[in-house]
Amino acid sequence: MDLRSELGKRLIFFDGAMGTMLQGMGLEAGELPEVWNLTHPKAVSDIHRAYLAAGADILKTNTFGANRIKLGQSGYSVSEVVSAGVWLAKDAAAEKGALVAMDIGPTGKLMKPLGDLEFEDAVSAFAEAARAGERAGADIILIETMSDTYECKAAVLAAKENTSLPVFATVVVDEQGKLLTGGDIPSAVALLEGLGVDALGLNCGFGPSQMERFFPVLESCCSIPIIINPNAGLPREDSGSIVYDVTAEQFARDMKRIAESGAWILGGCCGTTPAYIRAMVRCCKNISPKPIHKKNLTVVSSYSQTVRFGKKPVLIGERINPTGKPRLKQALCEGDMDYLMRGAVSQQEKGAHVLDVNTGLPEINETTVLSRAVQGIQSVTGLPLQIDTSSPVAMEAAMRLYNGKPLVNSVNGKKESMETVFPLVKKYGGVVIALTLDENGIPATAEGRAAVAQKIISAAAEYGIEKKDIIVDTLVMTISTGQKNAAVTLDSLRLVKERLGVCTSLGISNVSFGLPERQNLNASFFTMALQTGLDAAIVNPNSEAVMNAYYAFGALSGKDGQCSAYIRHHSGQKREEEPSAGSITLAEAIWKGFRESAREKAREMLKTEVPLDIIHSQMIPALDRAGKDFEQGTLFLPQLLMSAEAAKAAFEILRGSMAGKGETVRGGKIVLATVKGDIHDIGKNIVKVLLENYGFDVLDLGRDVTPEKVVETAVSQHVRLVGLSALMTTTVASMEETIRQVHQALPGCKVMVGGAVLTPEYAKKIHADFYSKDAMGSVRYAQKLFSVNISRERPGD
Amino acid sequence: MLEKEVLRYLGCPEQSADSRLKTRISDSLQDLRKACTPRSVWRCFPLEMGTGSVQIGTLEIPGNSLRKHLRGCGQAVLFAATLGAQADFLLERMSRMDIGLAAVYQASAAALVERYCDECEQKIAEKASRKNLFLRPRYSPGYGDFPIECQRGILAVLDCPRRIGLSMTERYMLVPTKSVTAVIGLTRDRPDGTVSKCARCDSPACPFRKEPNDGSAE
Repeated sequence: MDLRSELGKRLIFFDGAMGTMLQGMGLEAGELPEVWNLTHPKAVSDIHRAYLAAGADILKTNTFGANRIKLGQSGYSVSEVVSAGVWLAKDAAAEKGALVAMDIGPTGKLMKPLGDLEFEDAVSAFAEAARAGERAGADIILIETMSDTYECKAAVLAAKENTSLPVFATVVVDEQGKLLTGGDIPSAVALLEGLGVDALGLNCGFGPSQMERFFPVLESCCSIPIIINPNAGLPREDSGSIVYDVTAEQFARDMKRIAESGAWILGGCCGTTPAYIRAMVRCCKNISPKPIHKKNLTVVSSYSQTVRFGKKPVLIGERINPTGKPRLKQALCEGDMDYLMRGAVSQQEKGAHVLDVNTGLPEINETTVLSRAVQGIQSVTGLPLQIDTSSPVAMEAAMRLYNGKPLVNSVNGKKESMETVFPLVKKYGGVVIALTLDENGIPATAEGRAAVAQKIISAAAEYGIEKKDIIVDTLVMTISTGQKNAAVTLDSLRLVKERLGVCTSLGISNVSFGLPERQNLNASFFTMALQTGLDAAIVNPNSEAVMNAYYAFGALSGKDGQCSAYIRHHSGQKREEEPSAGSITLAEAIWKGFRESAREKAREMLKTEVPLDIIHSQMIPALDRAGKDFEQGTLFLPQLLMSAEAAKAAFEILRGSMAGKGETVRGGKIVLATVKGDIHDIGKNIVKVLLENYGFDVLDLGRDVTPEKVVETAVSQHVRLVGLSALMTTTVASMEETIRQVHQALPGCKVMVGGAVLTPEYAKKIHADFYSKDAMGSVRYAQKLFSVNISRERPGD
Repeated sequence: MLEKEVLRYLGCPEQSADSRLKTRISDSLQDLRKACTPRSVWRCFPLEMGTGSVQIGTLEIPGNSLRKHLRGCGQAVLFAATLGAQADFLLERMSRMDIGLAAVYQASAAALVERYCDECEQKIAEKASRKNLFLRPRYSPGYGDFPIECQRGILAVLDCPRRIGLSMTERYMLVPTKSVTAVIGLTRDRPDGTVSKCARCDSPACPFRKEPNDGSAE
């Protein structure tokens, strides 16, 4: 059968479960079903033939787990298992000219940052399987049972990069309609359509009636053929075996309704047998596929949620951009991703919907840093990101690693820009901001800018990028250099919307550059732009005036139903009660763990004192007091940490002030890492905060860190102290190895260790120089080792 | 009270917890409950005692601790539960934003997953009681000489990655981190309710050990 010519003309039927059938033939729980392609080929072949006889158009190969990660120590290679699997299916399919789908399931491991599987390792494992499938003669790649959008992205990329076969992808959701990693259906659809799969849908999880509940959600955001492969109901245990409750007839009736609602490709997953497929085919074969409507939604996504443009105005937080921000610049140069992550979360708390991420600095490797920033920020916020860079290499690396469908900033009307950016948007999926400028500069008129926008949209179409995936920015220029600038921008906006029907965005703050009290101009201009139909704005969410304008516009324009967002915005957030800065000293605020008071007090003190004096007169004494109380058992961990967090907040204010003058705080340099194989890092994170509060310069390598990485950093940074943590006996071996390598490479460098599994004796046995029983212990050891006070460092000192 | 458990994990005596800390704990529990969908999977298998090992279904578990623990059992339940990826996401976010809150969330998540396991265990017990079987306390890889490497087999037999999104790292650590795998023995002997879980454990130096007179035992 010819898939492309038949798809949409009649319903296409997948087969049912493979695993369930094999279990019926004696496959044990926990055994690798794929190995049966080689050990029990007849059993597999019989199943294929039974499904074919039942009316299946597409046979799924018995290769669900045939990847190098799952086959691992089985003694079989991916290539032999996949080849055998595809041949068995092809052999059966040939009888009726059915198609064979190379089945690719998840690796069974969790991707970083949740687990320890690297994105590119997943891509490479899937690529090996996909190549083997195509080589053996599969007609389609079916990526299925994906419960993590990130792993699904890795698999789709692998299939598209390594084969020329059509790619289908189905995900599994729970009773709330969520993937196991928290993503919803629209975010999975945005990602998969962006990556250019040929059909997508749902499989596994539960039966057709539960799946039917989610069909409207799926259908409302999907513009490509939909696949529905449910289980024969919810699996449950009965006397030691797994059973399913939906009968073949019930299954078929439920599937019929789903087909009538618009699914084009139907089949079964766990618990279904040829009887289910036969009943389904009989029930559904005369249904004509419902035509698919293009939804034309302008949507970006993260791993967990989507943001849609064109309904309510979208706020894009602009704060992660080093231009004019010395403290951020410093953080980027030092590789301090925590600072960026906190910046991301605080913009989210202020109400941003999308976050711009720009790490362009001449002194750093932008490709590496932008990717790290994107991954770091995605580990703490579910907001979609706007990847903002002028470097095509950095853009590609970040788009590849991004978990979702990103917003991309930006393309413009220059030939070179379009030729580099459009292929990336096509390949990885994304919505791209199009700036209305080209080789001739920025047109002075609205007509001129609309013409550039039109040119960009036409060029994009040649790459197969639809208009819905372009957001036009008609460019804001400051009114201080030309008072008509704002009017031209707004006229262009109106024209572009009317004539081209695309979504629009503007960088609001540019309008006031060079003028006093910029907030006022920004807020008013923002309102004017919103009134003109602006769909998105790059703004500072910390600017009260701008945010007030946004909520006021929503209320006045009727877009904010019952003014609820406006009311919420002005009702204030729930905060812990803290004393006012006037009623308390900084030392007291820190000792008692009042973070906001400490922050405010530090700000106030900076007006009259220099940062180093504040550190020595207030912060160190307070930290010492808390530390001593903790050591004496009168203060406990939660309170110690509250005090540490208050100190950190005050410290951050001081650092901000120092960074503005090009100064940094310099204590001794310490490398911290949770060892290879270990992902429990709360202990290390606590130690880090305490050490930093005492002025130490901590290089945090994160968790699951190889000995080589620790050594490399310790050597290149001339470090005298390394701190390692490990939670379990299985990872103490990595700790021992790391210590050995550090001592060998840097004989003078000390290693301190801590973690639940360690004891002083154990630490000694693995040659650690110091065992820290708690977080304060490591501070005391570091103080003893460095026996220096905090000092200030200026460039050239 | 779950709050009491959280304080115990935090190493903080109840009388030293002020109202701010207590509010933080109850907020964190609420936040985690809202964000997480705990999931579990279990299956009952015949149990055979080997010499220096036990055989549960197709899974052979070497060592004597579990063997000793399961003496008198004819079947065993393999059990796995997880708070899910959302818990880890929240913990990660907290550890970047506020280390004090991060510690509270860690402890709360630990208490929640234990509580969830207790609830599951109760369901298993109800089912077992219909067959006049009783449960031995759950026993997890890594305790005694129950090899942590057995995580692999348990996860595979229960099809954990697919069923509940539970997996492990190369070094056998469960991910998402707030997860439990365990073996629960089924026996015809009525349990002796006087000995606490902690009193039976071989790790006297465990910082979380409950004293015999601690009213919170089990």
